[in-house]
Amino acid sequence: MQNTHISSGSTELRNFARLGLTKKLTPYAYLSPTLLLLTMLSLIPIVTVFLYSLVDNVIITNKPSLFVGLKNYIDIISSVNFRQALGNTLFFSATSVVAHLLLGLLFATLLNSRVIGIVPKAIFRVIYILPWVFTASVIAILWRLMLNPNGVVNYLLIGLGLAHEEIEWLSSRQLALPAVIFINVWAGYPFYMVSLLAGLQGISDDFYEAGKIDGANGVQLFRFITLPQLKPIIVSLALLDFIWTTHQFTLIWMTTGGGPIRSTEMLSTFTYKLAFSSNQFSQASTAAMVILAISTFVALFYVRNQRLADE
Amino acid sequence: MGKRLITLLLIAVMVLMAGNGTAKAQSGTVALQFSQWWEPELPSGALRSLMDDFEAKNPGIKVQLISGPYSTTHDQTVAGAATGTMSDVVGLDGAWVNDFVKQGALADLTKLMTDAKYDASELAAQVKLNGSTYMIPIVNFVYPVFVNLDLLKAAGIEKLPSTRAEFTDAAKKLTNTSKNVYGWVLPLSTEQPNGIQNDVMSWVWASGGSMLKDGKPNLVGNADITSAMEFIKGLYSAGNIAKGAFTMKEQDKVEEFTNGRVGMMIDSLAHINLIRQRNSKLNFAITALPAADGYTGKRGLPYASWGVGVAQSSKHQAEAWKLTAFLMSAETNSRLSSVANAFPGNIKATPDFVKTDKLFAEAFDVFKAGYLANEFTGLPVAEQLMREFSEPFQQYLSGDVKLDEFLSAAQSAWEKHFQ
Amino acid sequence: MNRVTIRTVKSGFAIGLTITGLLLGALFAGLPALWMIASSFKSNTQIFAYPPHLIDDSFSIGPYSSVLSNPEQLRFFFNSYLVSTLVTMLTLLIGILSGYSFSRYAFRFKKFLNLIIIAVQSVPPITLMIPYFGLIVALRLYNSYSALLFTYLVFTLPYAIIMMTGYFNTLPRDLDEAVMIDGGGSLTILWRILVPISLPGIVSVGIYTFMLAWNEFLFALTLTKTNDMRTVPIGIQLLMGQHSFEWNQIMAMSVLGSVPVLILFLVFQRYFIAGMAAGSVKG
Repeated sequence: MQNTHISSGSTELRNFARLGLTKKLTPYAYLSPTLLLLTMLSLIPIVTVFLYSLVDNVIITNKPSLFVGLKNYIDIISSVNFRQALGNTLFFSATSVVAHLLLGLLFATLLNSRVIGIVPKAIFRVIYILPWVFTASVIAILWRLMLNPNGVVNYLLIGLGLAHEEIEWLSSRQLALPAVIFINVWAGYPFYMVSLLAGLQGISDDFYEAGKIDGANGVQLFRFITLPQLKPIIVSLALLDFIWTTHQFTLIWMTTGGGPIRSTEMLSTFTYKLAFSSNQFSQASTAAMVILAISTFVALFYVRNQRLADE
Repeated sequence: MGKRLITLLLIAVMVLMAGNGTAKAQSGTVALQFSQWWEPELPSGALRSLMDDFEAKNPGIKVQLISGPYSTTHDQTVAGAATGTMSDVVGLDGAWVNDFVKQGALADLTKLMTDAKYDASELAAQVKLNGSTYMIPIVNFVYPVFVNLDLLKAAGIEKLPSTRAEFTDAAKKLTNTSKNVYGWVLPLSTEQPNGIQNDVMSWVWASGGSMLKDGKPNLVGNADITSAMEFIKGLYSAGNIAKGAFTMKEQDKVEEFTNGRVGMMIDSLAHINLIRQRNSKLNFAITALPAADGYTGKRGLPYASWGVGVAQSSKHQAEAWKLTAFLMSAETNSRLSSVANAFPGNIKATPDFVKTDKLFAEAFDVFKAGYLANEFTGLPVAEQLMREFSEPFQQYLSGDVKLDEFLSAAQSAWEKHFQ
Repeated sequence: MNRVTIRTVKSGFAIGLTITGLLLGALFAGLPALWMIASSFKSNTQIFAYPPHLIDDSFSIGPYSSVLSNPEQLRFFFNSYLVSTLVTMLTLLIGILSGYSFSRYAFRFKKFLNLIIIAVQSVPPITLMIPYFGLIVALRLYNSYSALLFTYLVFTLPYAIIMMTGYFNTLPRDLDEAVMIDGGGSLTILWRILVPISLPGIVSVGIYTFMLAWNEFLFALTLTKTNDMRTVPIGIQLLMGQHSFEWNQIMAMSVLGSVPVLILFLVFQRYFIAGMAAGSVKG
């Protein structure tokens, strides 16, 4: 049963495997292209950015840079604007990740259901994936058009009687952040949906059969079979999304520019303005390093989680 | 499956080897690169034909046009200067000059002019720092007031407002919230904060005021600034400004006007033809920015220019200057300003639309009667200054802070950059 | 018999709920896209008209013909497709190998390397831009496809590795052991067993990688100089001028860019169903 389609051409490999050395090096061998690429193209610029954060200014300055140690870090962390941007970003990322997860899971489950035929399912999948195919700047412009005080969203709301005057979605201090979160949720849920859909395919029907025989209903099947099976994927998705959302720049920049009055100021827009508007590249690099530290902290949890999965 | 993958990857590698950007020029010719954001905004082929003319007049020099999106031009130029890949001739906005000079990115044009024995008397303006010129404005886009004549008539207003009192009155009469029409529109987006320059500070300059004193910020205790800010706040509190002001950009503002939802707006001359194209039925006129009541002096007119500088790292600075001089020559300058719908940077040049078009002729009169005023040109981190003004200004308009708090906040934020 | 009846009633409710959910979700996902398509056919002024209409008398295919008749824009599409496809293939290959390593092996620096691979993508790209740009110039890759290719690999690999590790982790070790008992080596386990079963995961990683490369703007702009190397996002941004935006052309270009991608997605969808059909181990 199990022998039929396995090749026997790996005798040499087997012989090699007897030497413990190859076994030890194998994982590194598999990782080598990644490590090579990342070391050359990723670590070197990151180290450069780190070095920038230790001097008084770089790039837009004719004078040679002076080493100032941790002064930039103290300046950044004690900056009120930085802390506001940090707070906004954490709120923005956390709500986005949760909403993405819920929507992604919901849609993936819906799309995986046997209730509808193959063709309608395929069509629905294409519709659901739409927010993904558009580039961030176009999404920003599209939503700006729709959320314009004279735009179609207000028109529908007024027409349906849900509002009685044009709402300033992106220009009001109270509504701008929720509006931007909504746009981000719309733009980002397909990532979860597609990944979870793939994950759902990998859950063997045997599990569900066994569950049904034990008398479990739909909800219980979901809770005790689907979710645990999807857990590794969900954790990966949440981690990645959190890190990416923290960087989200174009969407925010082109809808509100961080305004009004910094209500949608994120770490990304804050850093960008520091670098290219105030020409404080060292301080921007410092902010980048702080962001790196926070993300690494979050990533540590993920890596710990992986270790548990190994055992 | 494996074999197919490998073949595909080999093809990939071959494509990579082959895929490289446009090859360099042959030896013997000097290849100049001219980076700008103008080409996409001009009629198709217009800029290229000017370059062809230049090449015809200067055999041995070839010009490659590098066009990029306007919104990223500043950042890309900074990056280009930092990595030594800057184009020989660079399109510049006056707001960036100070920063690029600090970076050491721009060549001293005064020196180049002296070397080339260039007669600079025809230049309408030069952007100087510490006595040396770093940018020459090629064409200027002035920002007069556009008025929707149909809305004006419907509101029962006879003549175009020329004082602030008349403007306030007109704005009030023009506003009709049930018809979704507003008197004025104010773009205060912090993404592109040039609204502070064109739509806010312009009121100060139009009445001969200044936001600086001896080159340093002078916002607090400045009567001209105070009166202008109170004037705008009055309009805002009365609800005569179109909604969405805090994140509106210039490109949105013009669309509101084109759709007949705004009675008056301060806007770039470049939009005259745009508005006509977009809505041929719109009946509008151009007038000068109203001055403070009782002011009779010359009125400052805000402007933005398409300027040019030469990269310090350029290996062909003399040739780069030749291209600049060409762009500033009366004939080319007239042609360029005609297609760009802007006013020439050469005092002897006259764009043809001034003679043939009534609206442009009106604008030209306004231009001649006043003077170009943009105090942000040449200031350090000009765009950031505008932002640092915009944020407390928005708080002032919303009623969160009082006038003096707002001006002090802006003043202290500005002073940090002037040390 | 009772069991069957209860099941049918429940199913009816479930079906109704599912279909309602699907339709509402489709509205949520699709209405903005519909608005984009509608805008691409309107005149620039009508896009801002109030009250807004889905289709109005300014309907024209002008924006589309402008984009399609412009050889520069067409080159942008070609470049985007080329780069995105190559990036996807390379990312999948390298990502599968690395994910396998993290999923199936325990080795000394595993946690550390895992952390590094994740952490490197947490530095905001905007701050990395200039040092990275300098590096590319030093490597003489400026204004070439290679620059974009390597750059996107750096972005997509961490994602691909994390996701592949996750997908491989959902597959039980029994499969590996079965192969090893029969004398197969690690490569055999990977390509003959794990990959075919993880095909849905691989396809989803591939799709996302393609999207990421397709939509990336900042580095595409910085690392290319001439229009023959530039990609669609830059082409779209060029329509956003200093004085005005060509709103309808922006929308048209976006629609044109996404249609082939959607078709590709339709085609590759069946791999989502592959699932356990490929070589499972039972009993």
